[in-house]
Amino acid sequence: MSLSALAVSARLRSTSRSRRAKDRALEVCAWASLIVALIPLVAISLFLVSQGIRSLSLEFLTSDPPGDLSATGGGIRNAVVGTLLMTGLATLIAVPTAIALAVFSREIGGRVATSVRFVVDVLAGLPSIVVGIFVYSLVVVATGHFSGFAGAIALAVIELPVIVVATDELLRLTDRRIDEGTRALGMLRWRSFLSVFIPTALSGIITGIMLAVSRAIGETAPLIFTALGNNFFTLDMNEPIQAMPLLIYRNALNSAFPAARDRAMGTALVLVLIVLAFNLLGRWIARRARPADQR
Amino acid sequence: MTSAPIRLQPPPWAGATEAGTGLGADRANEVGPEAELAVELDRVSAYYGARRVVREISLSVRRNAITAIIGPSGCGKSTLLRCLNRMHELTPGARVQGRIEYHGLDLYAADIDPVAVRRTIGMVFQQPNPFPTMSIHDNVAAPARFNGLVASKAAENELVERCLRQAALWDEVKDKLKAGGTSLSGGQQQRLCIARALALEPDVLLMDEPCSALDPIATLQVEHLMAELKRQYTIVIVTHNMQQASRVSDETAFLTMGDDRAGYLVEMAETIEIFTNPKEQLTEDYVSGRFG
Repeated sequence: MSLSALAVSARLRSTSRSRRAKDRALEVCAWASLIVALIPLVAISLFLVSQGIRSLSLEFLTSDPPGDLSATGGGIRNAVVGTLLMTGLATLIAVPTAIALAVFSREIGGRVATSVRFVVDVLAGLPSIVVGIFVYSLVVVATGHFSGFAGAIALAVIELPVIVVATDELLRLTDRRIDEGTRALGMLRWRSFLSVFIPTALSGIITGIMLAVSRAIGETAPLIFTALGNNFFTLDMNEPIQAMPLLIYRNALNSAFPAARDRAMGTALVLVLIVLAFNLLGRWIARRARPADQR
Repeated sequence: MTSAPIRLQPPPWAGATEAGTGLGADRANEVGPEAELAVELDRVSAYYGARRVVREISLSVRRNAITAIIGPSGCGKSTLLRCLNRMHELTPGARVQGRIEYHGLDLYAADIDPVAVRRTIGMVFQQPNPFPTMSIHDNVAAPARFNGLVASKAAENELVERCLRQAALWDEVKDKLKAGGTSLSGGQQQRLCIARALALEPDVLLMDEPCSALDPIATLQVEHLMAELKRQYTIVIVTHNMQQASRVSDETAFLTMGDDRAGYLVEMAETIEIFTNPKEQLTEDYVSGRFG
């Protein structure tokens, strides 16, 4: 072996040894951070299940709560229905508005788009209690009473920026070449968006919508001064209506009563399961929305 | 064919709507022999902002012929091509100076709808760009459908088959028309894009380096296809590949970059002339590979 070859081989060995050490260290860090991240997740899940599982029953889901927080029995039907009604209506309001906002800011460009994005960013950073006060003064004061509609509007304001950001990001990724293709075929712009760009981005947009729904469904603060909550079953969105986060909040505040505490824990578990179900549904729809060869 | 000059009807795209159609290839036959030229450029310059990238190019594109535009990278070939169907102006800050006439009509006149121009003067791009969420069938049918060119489902199926046959793709995809457009190979995707452009019944087809992303076999297929298509269409192709220009084109324009970094026309002639007996030294240097 010549000298230079020896030198080369020595250098190769030393480099690879230090690299291997770094590689190893990084791997350890990655595992450590994974465990750190998992601890709270597992802890919360275990806590919720252990505390909430004993409240769960068919009756819990199909009956309404007793008027008295300290009384045992009853269920949370009114809260589940109220939450689904308000979140559903909020999503119906937020999705078309958010997609239209994203499309127009993308299409118009320039200063208008910049200011739209700025407003959306501000909206995304707004504390949810502020959203609650805003809708309170806008809707509740104007109509003179608390209502499910007011709650739905507040939740729509929460959902809006999440969906705008997701849609905007995905439209930004739309291939320039595809954009040029639609132009060169003399397609009108609304056609291009409706038939080409949005379908291409659809699976991502659905993921964004699911994220927004998951966020809105657990919001308490925007509902305190809008939907208010109540103790009986109603489908009338023009009246105060109960929601699961509100029920958790009121019952947990009175956790000196074992019945109230159990009811809060059971509701929390149901809420988490509903969010989980929405996420799984969203993933499934998003996968279906993707073209067959990209699944 | 009559010998008396026949003027084109009022611009087919003037005030065109979603349902408006372009000037069909068949209707181009109504034009007399003096309409030998499809497109004429008169001192056309193209700008991106203040920067001029194409300088005062004047040339003519013959009807039912293949015109090749060749030249080194960055000499404005693609930009020039994009001026012909008003795609250039879509880039923010981009503008065109000079006059471009299509069958005697000023393409940049105030009453001309650029969307209708793009329907009449189709374009195929360097990278195949089928619509990713659409099936093979829909990739061809949808643009025609959106432009109000199909009256019924049967007419649509007929159109799809005709265009795919014209693009020499039918036999390869007839059993999987419902499969995604992006599931095809690169060469097939490019022919799908050609079929899609043909579905709008254009008169002129602009091809911007249509084979540069394709392998030699797919390239050959597209070149054969072009030779077939020129019977019905006027084709302008931008290419890096001089062999390709010499193989497929009837006329060749050679562009190069001037000291001002703007592309200009060195010379244009019959392809055989350009490659065997060019008038300019620059052309000879380029086509013989001696270009710096």
